[in-house]
Amino acid sequence: MIEVDVAIIGGGPAGLASAMKACEEGVKDILIIERGMELGGILLQCIHDGFGTFIFEETLTGPEYAQRYIDEVKKTGINVKLNTMVLEIDSAKRIIAVNQEDGLLEIEAKAIILSMGCRERTRAQILIPGDRPSGIYTAGVAQRYINIEGVIPGKKVVILGSGDIGMIMARRFTLEGAKVEGVYEVMSNPGGLTRNVVQCVEDYEIPLHLSHTITNIRGRRRVEGVTVAKVDSEMRPIKDTERFVPCDTVILSVGLIPENELSKSADVGMDPITNGPIVDEQMQTSVPGIFACGNVVHVHDLVDDVSKVAEVAGRGAAEYIDGKLKKRRSPIKVKAGRNVKYVVPQIIHGEKFDEDIRFYLRVKEIEKSVKTVVLADGERIFEKKIKIVKPPEMVKLDISPDILNRITGDELIIDVEGEEDEEKS
Amino acid sequence: MGGRDQKIAKKLEKKIVKKGFPDVKISAEEGIVRLNGRVNLWSEVITIGYLAAKTKGVKGVINDVTAGEIERKGEEKKVTKRDVYDNVSLPKRADVVIVGGGVIGCFIAREISRYKLDVVLLEKESDVACGATKANSGMVHSGIGESSGTLKQKLNVKGNKMYDKVCEELNVPFERDGLLIVITTETLPPKVRKVLPPFISNFICEKIIPYVVFRKGKKAGIPLRPVKREELLEMEPNITDKAIVGVYSPTYGVVYPYEITIALAENAIQNGVKIALNTEVEDILVEDGKVKGVLTDRGTIESEYVINAAGIFADEVAEMAGAREFSIHPRKGSIIIFDKEMKGYINHSLSELILPQDPHTKGGGIFTTISGNPNWGPDAIEVSDKYDKSVTAEEIDTIFECGSLLPDFQKSSLITYFAGLRAATYEEDFFIKASENVLGFVNVAGIQSPGLAASPAIAEMVRGILREIGLKMGEKEEFNPIRRAIPKFSKLGIEEKKKLIKENPLYGNVICRCEHVTEGEVVDAIHRPLPATTVDAVKRRVRTGMGRCQGGFCGPKVARILARELNIPLEEVTKDGPGSNLFVGKTKSLLAEEA
Ligand SMILES: Cc1cc2nc3c(=O)[nH]c(=O)nc-3n(C[C@H](O)[C@H](O)[C@H](O)COP(=O)(O)OP(=O)(O)OC[C@H]3O[C@@H](n4cnc5c(N)ncnc54)[C@H](O)[C@@H]3O)c2cc1C
Ligand SMILES: Cc1cc2nc3c(=O)[nH]c(=O)nc-3n(C[C@H](O)[C@H](O)[C@H](O)COP(=O)(O)OP(=O)(O)OC[C@H]3O[C@@H](n4cnc5c(N)ncnc54)[C@H](O)[C@@H]3O)c2cc1C
Repeated sequence: MIEVDVAIIGGGPAGLASAMKACEEGVKDILIIERGMELGGILLQCIHDGFGTFIFEETLTGPEYAQRYIDEVKKTGINVKLNTMVLEIDSAKRIIAVNQEDGLLEIEAKAIILSMGCRERTRAQILIPGDRPSGIYTAGVAQRYINIEGVIPGKKVVILGSGDIGMIMARRFTLEGAKVEGVYEVMSNPGGLTRNVVQCVEDYEIPLHLSHTITNIRGRRRVEGVTVAKVDSEMRPIKDTERFVPCDTVILSVGLIPENELSKSADVGMDPITNGPIVDEQMQTSVPGIFACGNVVHVHDLVDDVSKVAEVAGRGAAEYIDGKLKKRRSPIKVKAGRNVKYVVPQIIHGEKFDEDIRFYLRVKEIEKSVKTVVLADGERIFEKKIKIVKPPEMVKLDISPDILNRITGDELIIDVEGEEDEEKS
Repeated sequence: MGGRDQKIAKKLEKKIVKKGFPDVKISAEEGIVRLNGRVNLWSEVITIGYLAAKTKGVKGVINDVTAGEIERKGEEKKVTKRDVYDNVSLPKRADVVIVGGGVIGCFIAREISRYKLDVVLLEKESDVACGATKANSGMVHSGIGESSGTLKQKLNVKGNKMYDKVCEELNVPFERDGLLIVITTETLPPKVRKVLPPFISNFICEKIIPYVVFRKGKKAGIPLRPVKREELLEMEPNITDKAIVGVYSPTYGVVYPYEITIALAENAIQNGVKIALNTEVEDILVEDGKVKGVLTDRGTIESEYVINAAGIFADEVAEMAGAREFSIHPRKGSIIIFDKEMKGYINHSLSELILPQDPHTKGGGIFTTISGNPNWGPDAIEVSDKYDKSVTAEEIDTIFECGSLLPDFQKSSLITYFAGLRAATYEEDFFIKASENVLGFVNVAGIQSPGLAASPAIAEMVRGILREIGLKMGEKEEFNPIRRAIPKFSKLGIEEKKKLIKENPLYGNVICRCEHVTEGEVVDAIHRPLPATTVDAVKRRVRTGMGRCQGGFCGPKVARILARELNIPLEEVTKDGPGSNLFVGKTKSLLAEEA
């Protein structure tokens, strides 16, 4: 049995930033466990730029961004185990992991930070009918093949889903000399950041078909083509708009799911909407001493946010070990209100707040000229105008202690109010 | 045509004309009816086939009627690169040639590997278990679902009893979880329910139907137990309110169909059988009414005994020999698999009894695989194309209805779906016979469900047939029935895991996040007696890619290990054989092509 102060599961940007913060806060014995060959997580395959605009105020590629943290970690006494897969965690904070050199590892930690990232939704989860030939990949897997393994999955590509990774892969395939027949998006708006629509799709004259989906995949050994169709307002395919598009590859960019088998094995309480653990303002889960940050909690669009929130978790773990963590008194539930899909953190604690809390929310629908409103006991304690909110772009609200300390009751509701609502009220 | 045959043809012609198909040509020989012509719809072809099968005096139906409207082309693209990963060189002659490496072919191979015989099994795909055998529910049925008196039922009941021993010998998991046949408020047809007073229909459901099922079981020697409502709720707390009573069939079991097939193949190889993959039989050589050998796309093998276990293609292989007495019309069945997270939700396999029972389907149900993944289905759809394994949107909806027994089941936990083709004949029974016209040719055809459950008994029956038609079968003393399995890392205890990694550090490298499969297992699978040479072949042996992420994480790793172990470039790795390559080239290669 190995004993450590803080064990960090996953060495992506979330794991790295939380380790650095815990170290800064004086934690001695920190261990990062990473199943990959290197630290850096998903960033290692994101060779495009656009990372770090907030934190470093420059645009870096994924590997460059990760390297900045890796270099810092190397300067400290933080221990790292690579090529090591965590198999199980229990609520007593015992970890079972395995690698080739050490064999089976049994680790006991005073605190754990979950930072396992996310995985991609698959073809079956969105119920695309048809054959099951070779040539169907999720966008992240295709990205790995091209950028890390050095092989190209196909020559004639149809992409389903205009999430960021889908659009980035549209560009990547084009740059590799493959023909991208089109990006098809079931919603009436692109699923990814505007900058990616412009830089990855429009600049390369790749057709973007909104309100479209794939209704069938065809091919015996290898994909031979797909049937695409327009969808109606309820996202049902319209039969007579169906058309066959020959291609040899289908790339799916249809959503990410936080990777939480380990959280579940540790009996951590889960949020059915985010598919991640329920966390408080210090990123602590329902199991005392187990923290979580990054894409394992909810899917972030920007790595900068991941690094930032990971520091909150790192500090929380340090304080937990020192016994300095705020006493868990009178939990206040934070609820998603009008046009809000979810809010993280889902819970805040404390009689007295002494610093800002940042709330992350994802809206359900695109809406212009809105106000985000925080309601406590029916009272509007906070309001902020926003020009436009879109589902792909996370909304961040920093709320100051003097506002937080006005909260009465045990529930906060966060609404996004449209113009008409305002007129009515 | 003899007099009797003429009479049959006349009678059948009348029926078929009456149905509105005057252009179908009919001939009969020794009770075998041949139908030719063209109609509009595939469903009409099927109707005509059944009309013929139900005509008195008809022993077999060869239905070559075609339909004007065929949605998909029936031909497979020919892939030329046959000899990529040949595992064996083709012998010049053999005592017995088996065509087809499904569970039936492999079971027969293993069964006759007990004797001093040179046996060769030929499989056109890159692995065994690539046909119906990989795409089924894996249920070892008890036989209660089959019509009384059929060969299917007889062999099913017998085969079921043989499972424990063979699975122990082959080291493959087998569990007898039992099946609950559930009688619900929807068991009786709506028409009947409408006219009967509720207390009567209730009495029928509660008392009469269970009794009828029970009697049928008793007659066939299938143990059954009636289950009252309270007990039913105790056994299955999540079951629908519409459940009235149940009948429990405790001998129902479950296996991994491909795992047992691979194990049979490996054990057969251990005992001297040659299995040639990527080898398609193109003709059967016959001289003077006797089998002389087979012609394959890789050469000829002389042999006086040929066993046709070609599944959905068994009619075509029989035709090659001139020994066709049946037609196979593919009946597609799709199955949905859910996350093993849902395991605790169901304790037994469940099947809702809906009357009248469709004699052509086994009726979908709710099953649980050995790994604990619930699976629903299959449905049953007649298709004209023997390669059509697509799952349609309508089918997904139909299968979701199978789950009406569990109204609150979380359907979003779905992880994948697939379809298989049942090799149905119009007679709707197994067709296991030595040909009377072509000596040495044995048809093992029409093996639709419960073919898996019946397979041990089928193999035994075929062994008997071979002996009857003159094959000399001297017992081999050195026959070894035991097959060692690939260690399953995820199933081991902590100490066993430690020991295994010490022996071979590759078992310390977990490459599949969902099922915790290690590199050691993958490498082992690639170097077994029957080598896994494709991503899917590895998957069938060690479960990489069978979990919730469906290969997203392990795919790149498995591809790399395959390339390394087979000593081929990554671009040549395939999903499931020639033509299913994963990649089109190295990065920059397309740009070079353009330039
Ligand atoms: C394909 C893709 C493209 C993106 N593009 C951009 C972009 O252009 N700009 C931008 O700002 N953001 C982008 N993002 C978002 C950003 O990269 C992520 O938000 C960020 O990487 C998440 O960090 P993380 O540490 O939470 O997860 P990850 O980076 O996924 O790291 C998780 C780590 O945990 C490890 N792990 C998981 N389970 C175990 C286990 N059981 N045992 C051991 N280790 C384990 C994994 O191997 C991995 O290294 C992209 C994300 C993806 C998925
Ligand atoms: C959806 C579905 C669900 C089912 N569920 C169950 C169940 O729960 N329990 C049960 O007992 N049964 C079930 N069955 C039935 C069971 O799957 C079959 O009875 C069984 O797999 C038949 O095995 P086989 O070896 O005869 O056929 P196959 O597995 O199809 O094997 C035939 C082989 O022959 C090869 N072949 C064909 N032509 C040639 C040629 N010319 N040269 C070389 N090789 C050739 C094919 O490639 C194939 O591999 C189910 C079937 C389906 C479709």
